[in-house]
Amino acid sequence: MTTFVIRRLVQIILVLMVVSVIIFSMAHLAPGDPALIMMGGKQSSPEVLENVRNKYHLNDPLIKQYTYWMTGVLRGDLGESYKMKQSVTDMIIGRLPLTIQLAAMSMFFTLLLAVPLGILAAVKKSTIVDHVATSLALVCLSSPVFLTGIMLILVFSYKLQWLPAFGIGNSVAENFKFMLLPSIALSLNMIALNMKMTRGSMIEIMDTQYIKTARSKGMPQNTVILKHGLKNAIIPILTVSSLQIGFLMVGTVLVEVTFGIGGLGSLIINAVKSSDYPVVQGTVLFMVTVFLLINLIVDILYAVIDPRIKY
Amino acid sequence: MECKIDLKAIELEHKQRRKRLFKTSFLNNYLVVAATIILIVIILLAIFAPLIAPHNPDQLNLSNSLKGISRENFFGTDRQGRDIFSRILFGARTTLLGAVFVVIISNVIGIPLGLISGYYGGKIDNLVMRMCDIILAFPALLLAFVIVAVFGRNFTNSVIALGVVYVPMIARLVRSVTLVEKEKIYVEAARAIGISDQSIIFKHILVNCTSPILIQVTIDMAYSVLDLAAMSFLGLGVQPPQADWGYMLSEGREYLMLSPNVTFAAGFSIMITVICFNLFSDGLQVFLDPQQRRV
Repeated sequence: MTTFVIRRLVQIILVLMVVSVIIFSMAHLAPGDPALIMMGGKQSSPEVLENVRNKYHLNDPLIKQYTYWMTGVLRGDLGESYKMKQSVTDMIIGRLPLTIQLAAMSMFFTLLLAVPLGILAAVKKSTIVDHVATSLALVCLSSPVFLTGIMLILVFSYKLQWLPAFGIGNSVAENFKFMLLPSIALSLNMIALNMKMTRGSMIEIMDTQYIKTARSKGMPQNTVILKHGLKNAIIPILTVSSLQIGFLMVGTVLVEVTFGIGGLGSLIINAVKSSDYPVVQGTVLFMVTVFLLINLIVDILYAVIDPRIKY
Repeated sequence: MECKIDLKAIELEHKQRRKRLFKTSFLNNYLVVAATIILIVIILLAIFAPLIAPHNPDQLNLSNSLKGISRENFFGTDRQGRDIFSRILFGARTTLLGAVFVVIISNVIGIPLGLISGYYGGKIDNLVMRMCDIILAFPALLLAFVIVAVFGRNFTNSVIALGVVYVPMIARLVRSVTLVEKEKIYVEAARAIGISDQSIIFKHILVNCTSPILIQVTIDMAYSVLDLAAMSFLGLGVQPPQADWGYMLSEGREYLMLSPNVTFAAGFSIMITVICFNLFSDGLQVFLDPQQRRV
């Protein structure tokens, strides 16, 4: 187990090194002079531009520039935004709590609903309950997150006026109200996907010999389903969790833009739109690192839950 | 002589089995049939959009702003007074063409990579798989954001970006099928009679990868419609005034309170298209992979 974790960590570091080179070279591949972007497209004298270039080491050879950037990154300094003249690290830290809150709330809804609904649909297979649940899941899966969000705004904010549509609120209680719709929009898709998979693997498991044995020795239905069925049915769901974490991270970007929440997602999109490369580089590198680390944790959990897996 | 007759009989039986299978998986499943028909209609509407559209999709007419549903404008008009129905038709062109190109790009790169890496193994395999790992290190669309940030925000770049993002999925799939296929007796036989690696890979193994690739293609179509819409919604894909469903959603969001017509029209177009692709791919899966039918 320890060797597995160490091997994976080394692998992650190698991948991150390549990713950092890709991310770093993007600003230099891009058309347009970074010095001009920093001046906000204003007409500037060549001397001013030259000063900017010197200040940001833009005249140095690429390898040297990469070393500057990388030593900064390793010390937790992701550079300075072209547009906001602010430290990228501070910008990320300032916006991170909202994004984490959004992701955590949608994860909560997903875990709360997806597996029980999947079990319900599997146990009541081919009944009206199953048909309704699977059709709803298909609709949710086919609706992009931002469309779900807009529909929720339309129904719950404009028509029923139950919940606010845009913003994040001032107090804790208010904040919860503001974040409710965004996190529901984000979770519906994941609930549908996980429900579908729980249903599929549950149906398969309930057909196996050991479930039949458990039934025939008179074990109560609930124990059969929850203790013998679910425990084995849950494993296939974990295998695709990497995809889901990726979906969750990009989902927060889409939801933040839809609901006008100033988290990490809107930061990255605004930076892409205004060619603010240090911000794009910093946030992307940050998100990739988080993504890889979460994947590692999931892999470890996977081995803990399923003892058949030996790394 | 006998051998010939046997072959014919086997072929006949094979054909009949396929027909039966087609019936049970496709025709007897009304949903799949309905989805296929709707998909064909959508594709025809997109192809013949210039002939069908009652108005010019880009014709601004501010005096006609935010009109409701009428005989003149089936879905009403948007804030600039453009006919929503015509824009939906032309948006279908953008969306479907984009999705097709995403799938083509990812398959043209991914299939050969998967075949070669699965067949030869060793160093090439290692290299290809590490390249896939790098792309997969970016959560979903994030790499597409980066590519678009570098090469400029427009439709072509977002299609290419998504194509690249989809490569590892198809490459890994083809590789895993190739790993199984290359151990089979027909490959050994082909090798024994001196057929070149090239034709073994592209003529024999590739043919046996078609079912999983076809299924993956239909699933990818659904995903790329969703992802292209997301790119345009974020303002990284289609740029105005070109008609596109994703971009219409982001426009419509601004005046959702005044008139939700644009939002409904574009939203339901995306949803129906994706649902149909999903149902179609489910049907295809049952048809091509009989093991699936039990579940």
